[in-house]
Amino acid sequence: MTNTKKYWKGLAELNNDPIIEKLAQNEFVDELPVDEFLSDPDINKSSTSRRDFLKFLGFSTAAATLAACETPVNKVIPYVVKPEETVPGIANYYASTIYDGHDFASVLVKTREGRPIKLEPNKTSTNARVQASVLSLYDSSRLKNPMKSGEESDWDTVDSEILEKLNVISSKGGKIALLSSTIISPSTESVIADFSNKFRNVTHIQMDALSSNGMLEANLENFGVRALPTYHFDKAEVIVSFGADFMGNWGDPDNEKKYSKRRNPKHGNMSKHYQIESTLTLTGSNADERIQIRPSEQAGLLSNLYNALNGSNPDKRIAKIVNSLKNAKSSIIVCDSNDKDVQLLVNAINNKLGNYNYTVDMSNPSYLRKGNDESVAQLIADMNAGTIDAIITYNTNPSYTLVNADEFNKGLSKVGLKVSTSLFMDETSSKMDYICPDNHNLESWGDANPSNGEYTLMQPTINPLFNGRQFQDSILTWIGSSETYYDVLKNLYSSWEEKLHDGYFTMNKIEYSLKSKFSVPSFSIPSSKGIEFEVSEKISMGDGTQSNNPWLQELPDPLSRASWDNYLTMSASTARDLGVKNWNVSNGALNGSLVNITVGDKTLENVPVMIQPGQAIGTVALSVGYGRTHAGKCGDGVGHNAYPLLNGGIAEITLVEGIHEFAAVQLHHTMMGREIVKETTLADFINDPSSGNHREKYYTHDGPKTSDQVTLWDDHDHKTGHFWNMSIDLSLCSGCAACVVSCHAENNVPVVGKEEVRKSRDMHWLRIDRYFSSEMTKERSAEEKISAIDMYSEMEDPSENPEVVFQPVMCQHCNHAPCETVCPVAATTHSAEGLNHMTYNRCVGTRYCANNCPYKVRRFNWFKYSDNEKFDYNLNDDYGKMVLNPDVVVRSRGVIEKCSMCIQKIQEVKLNAKKSGSKVNDNDAQTACSSVCSTNAIIFGDSNDSSHEIYNLKNDPRKYDLLDHLNVAPSVFYQTKVRNKS
Amino acid sequence: MQKESEIRDPLILGKKSYHDITLDVSKPVEGKANKYWWILFSISFIMFIWGVLSMAYTIGTGIGSWGLNKTVNWAWDITNFVWWIGIGHAGTLISAVLLLFRQKWRMSINRSAEAMTIFGVAQAALFPLIHMGRPWLAYWVFPIPNQFGSLWVNFNSPLLWDVFAISTYFSVSVVFWYIGLIPDFAMLRDRFNEKTSPMKKKLYSFLSFGWSGKAKHWQRFEEVSLVLAGLATPLVFSVHSIVSMDFATSVIPGWHTTIFPPYFVLGALFSGFAMVETLLIIMRKVVNLEAYITIKHIEYMNIIILLTGSLVGTAYITELFMAWYSGVEFEQYAFLNRATGPYWWSYAIMMGCNVLTPQLYWINAIRKSFIATFILSIFVNIGMWFERFVIIVTSLHRDFLPSSWSMFSPSIIDIGIYLGTIGFFFVLFLLYARTFPVIAQAELKTIVKSSGSEYKNKNND
Repeated sequence: MTNTKKYWKGLAELNNDPIIEKLAQNEFVDELPVDEFLSDPDINKSSTSRRDFLKFLGFSTAAATLAACETPVNKVIPYVVKPEETVPGIANYYASTIYDGHDFASVLVKTREGRPIKLEPNKTSTNARVQASVLSLYDSSRLKNPMKSGEESDWDTVDSEILEKLNVISSKGGKIALLSSTIISPSTESVIADFSNKFRNVTHIQMDALSSNGMLEANLENFGVRALPTYHFDKAEVIVSFGADFMGNWGDPDNEKKYSKRRNPKHGNMSKHYQIESTLTLTGSNADERIQIRPSEQAGLLSNLYNALNGSNPDKRIAKIVNSLKNAKSSIIVCDSNDKDVQLLVNAINNKLGNYNYTVDMSNPSYLRKGNDESVAQLIADMNAGTIDAIITYNTNPSYTLVNADEFNKGLSKVGLKVSTSLFMDETSSKMDYICPDNHNLESWGDANPSNGEYTLMQPTINPLFNGRQFQDSILTWIGSSETYYDVLKNLYSSWEEKLHDGYFTMNKIEYSLKSKFSVPSFSIPSSKGIEFEVSEKISMGDGTQSNNPWLQELPDPLSRASWDNYLTMSASTARDLGVKNWNVSNGALNGSLVNITVGDKTLENVPVMIQPGQAIGTVALSVGYGRTHAGKCGDGVGHNAYPLLNGGIAEITLVEGIHEFAAVQLHHTMMGREIVKETTLADFINDPSSGNHREKYYTHDGPKTSDQVTLWDDHDHKTGHFWNMSIDLSLCSGCAACVVSCHAENNVPVVGKEEVRKSRDMHWLRIDRYFSSEMTKERSAEEKISAIDMYSEMEDPSENPEVVFQPVMCQHCNHAPCETVCPVAATTHSAEGLNHMTYNRCVGTRYCANNCPYKVRRFNWFKYSDNEKFDYNLNDDYGKMVLNPDVVVRSRGVIEKCSMCIQKIQEVKLNAKKSGSKVNDNDAQTACSSVCSTNAIIFGDSNDSSHEIYNLKNDPRKYDLLDHLNVAPSVFYQTKVRNKS
Repeated sequence: MQKESEIRDPLILGKKSYHDITLDVSKPVEGKANKYWWILFSISFIMFIWGVLSMAYTIGTGIGSWGLNKTVNWAWDITNFVWWIGIGHAGTLISAVLLLFRQKWRMSINRSAEAMTIFGVAQAALFPLIHMGRPWLAYWVFPIPNQFGSLWVNFNSPLLWDVFAISTYFSVSVVFWYIGLIPDFAMLRDRFNEKTSPMKKKLYSFLSFGWSGKAKHWQRFEEVSLVLAGLATPLVFSVHSIVSMDFATSVIPGWHTTIFPPYFVLGALFSGFAMVETLLIIMRKVVNLEAYITIKHIEYMNIIILLTGSLVGTAYITELFMAWYSGVEFEQYAFLNRATGPYWWSYAIMMGCNVLTPQLYWINAIRKSFIATFILSIFVNIGMWFERFVIIVTSLHRDFLPSSWSMFSPSIIDIGIYLGTIGFFFVLFLLYARTFPVIAQAELKTIVKSSGSEYKNKNND
């Protein structure tokens, strides 16, 4: 890395003249003339007396001190030549695409003064990881230069050496392997084709960290197309998912959006969703009914289901499902299995139910997964056999994500030329001869073809931060093309500017002539003993690509509510059998036991265990994406790597000495019998839309009254002007947490790190509370005459197969705000538009408001979270700070902060309306959370505008205020959760 | 000449002339400190320094150095604040209320009780300051004219009421105390020789404001004392009522209680008398005041502790009853959680120390024992600290939404600050014991011939 070039000052130094050494030793060549000076007889006659000397000394010290006290000057440098489209203070939006090999999204990139700072959904919805990817752009651990054998180099050297080697290999007829993630970019495919033509003998292998190979192969056999179907969850009356987390991590990014379209009880035709799984997934937690099975039982149950549909007796666990399916007009069966035979069976069931061409669309397949396990296995075999002469990796990290990474690494050492194009010095690229760092999506050109006929474009929104080069340009350089990748891309599409502006378009739809040849493999339900292991995937971390992203590390898992960790999830009864415990220490923080787990021949040591309600008894799971060794300062050493155990199986678990310290943001898991999330069933809802939503009454001498009827408050006038309200539909909220990350990005919410989260000091302005149902209810305690003390203590324990509810909670903007009355300095005040303002500059930090907040949404800056070595995350990094939203101040130590309802965005809309002289269109005013909510659970608007949806939602029979009995009159309200169950 | 019933126990023991009293009171000021004083002072000073360092660390790095979190935003800070304010109450009650009720026994103890008040309130006043996230802006809580535009304080906030209540209380207490000190400072002034101790002479001359003991001086002195007693009496009730409103006006179950003002005042008197006992039982030994602080004084105070302790106990039971009777599940849970939740032990300490132990004072032998009183007074001090901890922490840690429920555990800095204020309090008190007339000797001399044991015996003969 260091430059070894030496410069010499003169010929003497070059020639190693001894005088140089001598002079270097002797700083003062001549003696200081001290004696001469002191022996001067005139010295006492000097006009500068000792007293004067001290005066001068004093003056100069004071002057120097004063000068040093000056406030540091931060220069604002104006543009010399201002780019035409950039107006300081005004955001520009560019349509682009995010695709990192795992997540795909069509986005609008918000840039301020040339910096991308926020992603908004464009064509598709964006999940938490896509929302966070804007911070990954500013990751200072990205490679800043091309690397050669671990040392920084320059492009000329690297290119010429690689080219030379490639030419030699090519001329000898050697094999070149190009290992990449799934490529959904047609232009990249053409560049790779050119590369193959130039160097002949090139094999392009695509791999997915979490493979869908089984499904792809099954579809190839059944339909002749190696692709995934497009699912129309909005058309399905019954949805049966065997372990597929289609709302979280599995399949198309818009599954969740489509699913939610048929989950709104208002239209009466709510779909019925069954989830059959062993590890609680986000999808499973949203299901109407969830059936816990062991992973090994999945195939057998599918077989049973198929036979039951043909008339035989169903397994009693799925009898209800069989009935529903038989009576349903339309349905979807999905399964997460990576076994081709299982997927053949799933296809057969879907075919049997007549789902093809209606809810399961194979003529418009999705191309988001193309990875081929067989070719990857072949590549590893070839590498180990020494028949691969060169390997180039792109957008993939096999040394980390492969189940047999050891073999891959062993094979890699036998390859002559190893080139990585990773942005990071990751597990794979650190083993490579050359790294030609790619650019981040937000710095790159590109296109994508996620599904048949659908295209999106990617455009750079910032000049590359570092000396990287797009992978495609690297390839073009190596094949000696005179074109840049931009030229290649642009030539591919007509009416370029229009398409670039929109970001997405439809063209070249392929008319597949699908064959339809189904086969029905048969499986039985094994009666396996022992604990079964499977890997899971977390909403926050996905496949681990972005594990150096502090926003994602600190994003609590929607189900376990723990951050900065992965852990073995286990049911309470399995834990009891193994002697494994979870307990809270004196400050409330969660601790857990450690175990060693062996699956097959792979062992993970000292893995913490989290007791997770919903994990099937006798099964355990560990999420992938953790245990990185070469991710960067945030991701390294966090958790354990589950990829070696990817294939699952029977696990040997032994309790070992030691304690693990978790960082969970929620330590209590049930509602304790309180009406926090109001619930009803679809049948009750159809009878009475306000079912489950009855307001609590106070008994007065005039009879029972609701809290607002006995108020002592003088109400604010909200009849005139705007009245900003937010509705959160608990039936639609899936808990996906995209809003949490979006809020982080929009509002410069600091990351505080594991230790502080553990101390219950997370700074999230918006949190998604998750509650599990408990076996103990008030009704049961009344029936069985259980004492209140016993009832409450039993209520603290969630059920083993609980019903789950998610409830996003941010500042409720109370119109009778408890926080506003108690602040001694009036730092938090009410606006005429129904918002609760927080004036950071005025806050002295008594925290009285936070104590008096019944929702506990106020967050205190316990420390200085920016420019602080102890909080070495993006706010302590010159690159990381570039993601900050200039419209929102970074809060100082000692002040309270909280959700502002994105006041900066509301203000922008109002100012724009004022400038254009038009009425404020409250549809334009969106908060960070509402704009990314793919299910439209969060709706924001002006309830004084009767044309806006919020107006109707406010008068909806499902609408309720959280903690209504307090009469704090929040501007945020919720809609009852409706479950489609009897 | 006053006459006191013979069957009343004497308030001054031994054969004390007016001059003996002068000598006894001026001895600690004139003489050298004894060994006990130095030991106590050294320990207190070390604690004080520890506290100063802890506070400096807090202000330097942030409130995050304490054990607080997003759910429990106040814990030891406000517990200590209320505890110290409560301790202050006995002083004012003794010097003001008992003056109005012509209780002579207050004369031997009012000076020290009042000193305790002032030092206690000084400790208390530290907490609202240092618990702020940005203490350097603390002056914003005062309604002072400013250049920030129309910025003004929020008169709805109980914290602002605290600012007024405490500053009023502190200033009235200081003035009242000082007025009482003037004749005694004059006594000290007269005892110091200008040649041998010129500094002390000058100091006490200044402090005594030219007191010469004229009849007019005495008349004014009596009048001012009475007026100030009248002013201070409502303060005894207002200060802690207002402090209690920090909690009572909030929405948090366990805080939102109308019983709080009287409950807090009683608790304050209860803890204040306990602290007076703790201090006086030490002081009568350390500065040899056995003749003036007698078991009779202690017994009187024990009776007040028994009364206020029982009333506080009634308040605790009333709270439980009201929680059940309200029918509000949040209230009910708050109190069930206090008694049986993760902080049950602090509730048990509170109940044990504040409700059960004072009941021992029904027993004559315990009520009239210095040692038993000293031990029980410590129990009450501990119990009252836990009362505030229970109210603050157990109410906050599990409020409305279980998703936010958390716990609190103090950090080393929390502990340092608390012990630091105890150290600071004792540093002030020990310095006071060496430089101030610790007994209101001028007043005490008025009862030596009616309540002194020697004179009583004489009269009996």
